[in-house]
Amino acid sequence: MIRKLIGATAFALALGVAGADAQIPDLSKYPDWSGQWRRPPGLGIQFDQTKPLGRGQQAPLTAEYQAIYEAGLADQAAGGQGTDPTYRCIPFGMPRMTSAIFPFEFLIQPHTTFILSDYNMPRRIHTDGRDFPAEFEPNFAGYSIGQWIDTDGDGKYDELRIETRGMRGPRSFEASGIPLHEDNETIVKERFYLDKNDKNVIYDEITTFDNALTRPWVVTKKYIRQVGPVVWFEQNCSEDNHQVLIGKENYFLGGDGLLMPTKKNQAPPDLKYFNLPRR
Amino acid sequence: MFCRSLMAAATLAMSIAGAGAQAPDLSKYPDWSGQWRKFPGQGNQWDQAKPSGTRQEAPLTPEYQKIYEANLQDQKEGGQGIDPTGFCIPFGMPRMMTAVFPFDFVITPQTTYFISDYNMPRRIYTDGRDWPKEREPNFTGYSIGKWVDSDGDGKYDVLEAETRFIKGPRVFEGSGIPLHEDSATVIKERFYQDKENKDTLYIGITTIDNALTRPWTVTKKFRRDHKPIWYTYNCSEDNHHVVIGQENYFLSADGQLMPTKKNQQPPDLRYFK
Repeated sequence: MIRKLIGATAFALALGVAGADAQIPDLSKYPDWSGQWRRPPGLGIQFDQTKPLGRGQQAPLTAEYQAIYEAGLADQAAGGQGTDPTYRCIPFGMPRMTSAIFPFEFLIQPHTTFILSDYNMPRRIHTDGRDFPAEFEPNFAGYSIGQWIDTDGDGKYDELRIETRGMRGPRSFEASGIPLHEDNETIVKERFYLDKNDKNVIYDEITTFDNALTRPWVVTKKYIRQVGPVVWFEQNCSEDNHQVLIGKENYFLGGDGLLMPTKKNQAPPDLKYFNLPRR
Repeated sequence: MFCRSLMAAATLAMSIAGAGAQAPDLSKYPDWSGQWRKFPGQGNQWDQAKPSGTRQEAPLTPEYQKIYEANLQDQKEGGQGIDPTGFCIPFGMPRMMTAVFPFDFVITPQTTYFISDYNMPRRIYTDGRDWPKEREPNFTGYSIGKWVDSDGDGKYDVLEAETRFIKGPRVFEGSGIPLHEDSATVIKERFYQDKENKDTLYIGITTIDNALTRPWTVTKKFRRDHKPIWYTYNCSEDNHHVVIGQENYFLSADGQLMPTKKNQQPPDLRYFK
């Protein structure tokens, strides 16, 4: 599954990321972003938190991708899934995973900052000074390089800047299906920082560069630290997923496990590979 | 489906998140940094010392031995048997410790994280908490650990963990060696480095389960990789297995349904006009 990752290997090697003689990490310069972070109460799962999901997002799509989006919305209105691929348990990927449908936490190590949730695979943000590898097999979360910044010169880091490349598709910004370009040349730049007046609020300023967009799309997401009870609970999309794609059609598995149409007058799947009539 | 009565767990976990937490003192903890993986040539069987399948000599009760044999027959005929992972159900505990994909640790005084790019993160709580009275089970379970200084040198060198509240269906390995459907499994683990070679890690795993006649103990061995590459795996992206009714079918290259067994009936299409 892993293809030509020589570049990534060489960088990791040169920087000695993993080593038997690695030292105990000194975390005194890093901010305290511990704990569980969530969307503010009452907030939906739209991409730009300040606007409603769907057309109300006013995504700066090119004419071509606006047409794709409109077709996806029409398909959703008819009972389909449109251009949102996650119904098949395809991961959200970047940048949609920043919508934090499920809570997340940061694990800050000098060489890597992990963003862990109980829904997405771990996101690794490499902060060891490496450059992007010359070649990299794309994945949904992409390849993230970060840099810690001491913005106020007090000797401690207070901002994490990240650039992410190497994403694979299909991906959409949100459940309404706002699409990213199929060329997957997306670049996402982020800036994580705590609110100066409330250390239980963190912001992620996200700028998405993508060929489906007429200009970089900038949104700032806000998350709240859970200072009371913290519960982590693993979510598994596949466990009870009733959506199934057969051929080019999306069907639904009913309560009895049998196939059902998702649209009016939808044709049943082609059974050409079966040589026996159903008894 | 999300979170049910988790108040007890929530209360116990309160101490983890704190806006005023200090930079942790990690000087007493071992250096388990880097990427850990199976040794070259090592398969995905449960007991690394034995071949996969019946030669694992799993100490199954007669009832579960029968279930296992029926599963092997189903696999022989083209089915998946009782291995649920063909449908992207997580490995769960203890199977996830086979480390089909590499993993790393992040150690904090409160929690040791077991992170791979295939499974959801596993948290082993080492903050002294007790078991929650109520807990919604999940595939990874709920793990409580304790650091041990086994040689009295003032530094921890062994992590002992116990895991409960695991949901099913789960099996030990791809051949379908089953765990009991009551999901009352308890797993006890001991993580420690080789004293002579710090690039070798052992995990002693004892599974206590009602499908077994006795606790089943295996020791897994992993090597540290100094050239780490991390790569996210997503089971659902290209999974061709689909269950319709009680039958397992396969999606062919053109996306259409195919039988997985000889003379398998096509699915019931009663809901289509």
